[in-house]
Amino acid sequence: MSDIEVNGIKLEMENPQSAEALSSGEPAVVAPAGSQRYRMIFSGTAGEYFRIWMVNLFLTVLTCGIFAAWAKVRSRRYLYARTLLAGQPFDYMANPWFIFKGNLIVGAGILLYLFADTYNQLYSSGVLLAFYLVLPFLICKSLRFNAYNSAYRNIRFRFYGSLKESYGIYLLLPILIPLTLGLIVPFWMYRRKKYFFQNFSYGATRNSFEGNAGAFYRTYGLAGLVSMVFLGIGVAGFLGFVSFVEDISIQPAGLSRAIVLIPIISYVVMMVYFTLVQQYIFGRVTNYCWAQTRAGTLQFQSRLEIRKLMWIRLTNILAIFISFGLLIPWAKIRRTRYILNSLTIISERSLDEYSAAAEADQSAIGEVTTDFFDIAIGI
Amino acid sequence: MIEFKGTYFDGRSSKAYAVSIQSDGQRIRIAGNADGLPLLFPLGKCRLTPPLGRTRRSILLPNGGRCDTADLRAFGKLESLKGDNRILRLVNFFESRWRLVVGCLAGLIACVWMFTAHGIPFAAKKVAYSLPPETMESVSERTLQALDDGFFKPSALSQKKADHLQNIFRQLIADVDSGFHYRLVLRSSPRAGPNAFALPSGIIVMTDELVKLAENDRELIAILVHETAHVENRHGLRMLFQNTGVFLLISVLAGDVASITSIAATLPTILVESGYSRQFEREADLAAGMILVGKGWGTRPLQTVLQRLSEKQPEFSGPAAMSTHPQTRKRISYLQDLEASLTR
Repeated sequence: MSDIEVNGIKLEMENPQSAEALSSGEPAVVAPAGSQRYRMIFSGTAGEYFRIWMVNLFLTVLTCGIFAAWAKVRSRRYLYARTLLAGQPFDYMANPWFIFKGNLIVGAGILLYLFADTYNQLYSSGVLLAFYLVLPFLICKSLRFNAYNSAYRNIRFRFYGSLKESYGIYLLLPILIPLTLGLIVPFWMYRRKKYFFQNFSYGATRNSFEGNAGAFYRTYGLAGLVSMVFLGIGVAGFLGFVSFVEDISIQPAGLSRAIVLIPIISYVVMMVYFTLVQQYIFGRVTNYCWAQTRAGTLQFQSRLEIRKLMWIRLTNILAIFISFGLLIPWAKIRRTRYILNSLTIISERSLDEYSAAAEADQSAIGEVTTDFFDIAIGI
Repeated sequence: MIEFKGTYFDGRSSKAYAVSIQSDGQRIRIAGNADGLPLLFPLGKCRLTPPLGRTRRSILLPNGGRCDTADLRAFGKLESLKGDNRILRLVNFFESRWRLVVGCLAGLIACVWMFTAHGIPFAAKKVAYSLPPETMESVSERTLQALDDGFFKPSALSQKKADHLQNIFRQLIADVDSGFHYRLVLRSSPRAGPNAFALPSGIIVMTDELVKLAENDRELIAILVHETAHVENRHGLRMLFQNTGVFLLISVLAGDVASITSIAATLPTILVESGYSRQFEREADLAAGMILVGKGWGTRPLQTVLQRLSEKQPEFSGPAAMSTHPQTRKRISYLQDLEASLTR
């Protein structure tokens, strides 16, 4: 290994011989003999990130949103800079002025929608339709922009996904979901993940993705099965409660209070359950996709544990509620740390030997649009 | 002469080179044990990445190469020599000090309060008054149509009673000189019970149940005056714009984690929006009270009908901060105070 220890940051390398036995159910990654394992290390701290977040949020509100582009770049730069692989950090290099321009366009679109909505809802539906038509374009551009502005060891990432494929995935497939009674959802997820993982490159090194839709159907199938059992228990519990109330004639005041509580409790239970299912799918899909991805001779191993993901997410939400949002940075750092620290890169070659691709520029409009409307794409 | 250690990446391969960096403020020299080194560049052609926490800093070189360093002190000296990143250095100064961060939190709270209490209502009012009164006509018509389809039944009042009400209404709006096309619409709704509301274009809907609840014409006029005040002051449109403003503000605050906090974000939205609504109700009560006192009737008709409404229909039982209307008790005492101050 020829990695240099720089600036006092130690290399974190695991010995391939001492690799822990893979937990059952996880997709297996077979590391070739003589390869090196590098663990991704996230070293961001909640205190440091909180200070950055607070100052930038204040400046964003103070400037009526103008500073939002700079704030976005700063917080993302921080998260990247604190992500180390073989002792070297990642870099986020986006120019805030591009994002600012994108923000202006998105802002104009929202104002147009609102004014159209005030005059005639027919016009605003037109604006909404136009938005759905450009959405796949924006998603594709956003992936390209973010990949191009992400770098490791001064080599940029690239995203080669085509516009045509983006329209197929983000416009055509969603239309088919209601027609197939949702049976196509796991396939849709598979196509989205494939689009993401397959089309990335690190410099000149293109990714490949070997995954198939079957694994996605198994994950969603189990989630669906458990949901049905859960729903059954819920209905039975509700009926049991009703008969209990009828049996023991509770005081009318106490009864009405209990009845008021039912919708609140069932809402909370639903939200918690939904969050748990979400984390299950996220963990399984992420582990699977990394295991099926190759970048040249590089292999990946994500060892997210579903129980830990669920615990982190639930306690994060609770912390954000209790702190009136002040613990948002803490929650974000905590989850990012867990997800990134679970990722291992296995390489036959030295990480010193990758080369850059030819240069090309991308506009930023996509970046903010997906951000603003919070479209969940990527990992 | 500034000198520090760093890592050089040439931008063509991922190889890391340990280098030493020297600068006299004019030029920068990168020396190390590799092909192509040492390199010499004018400092003016290089870009320095802005400071961010205690993360390492980089010099972006004109040849596409890059030098990283963890020696923040030496890098800071180079940066002040070059005079780069003035604004972001100030931002970083704030970010590095807990006291200033707490100051920013206080500033943020003050800003959010200023926006919700003054900024958003002011801007919404400006925009609402800059639009012609016809703006809301098609939307209001459609809203009425939707309510007719699902919620309302035709009025069961006698023709004589209906004509009488229309007459009262005509006299009432004759006094109001405005661009709104006023119309009184009578409907029956056992589900909604006694109720009246105004659509932004000037359509005022009153239910049979409310007509029956009122003991005399003055009480009905009091309600109609209250509703016309909503129209005249463009409360519907202003409410729409204010709620949009609140939505945008909360989106900015919730930011990245909007999906987690979407549940958490609904509560403050409800609180702020119902606060706006209560303020508009109070404004409409004020306008109605002034007109009633002007007619020489005093605010009593509105007080009595509000009192009877609250007896007939139990009030919102949740926290007062989440109600769209002020408590009846408070509205009545407000009207009494108003009358006392006007007739003194």
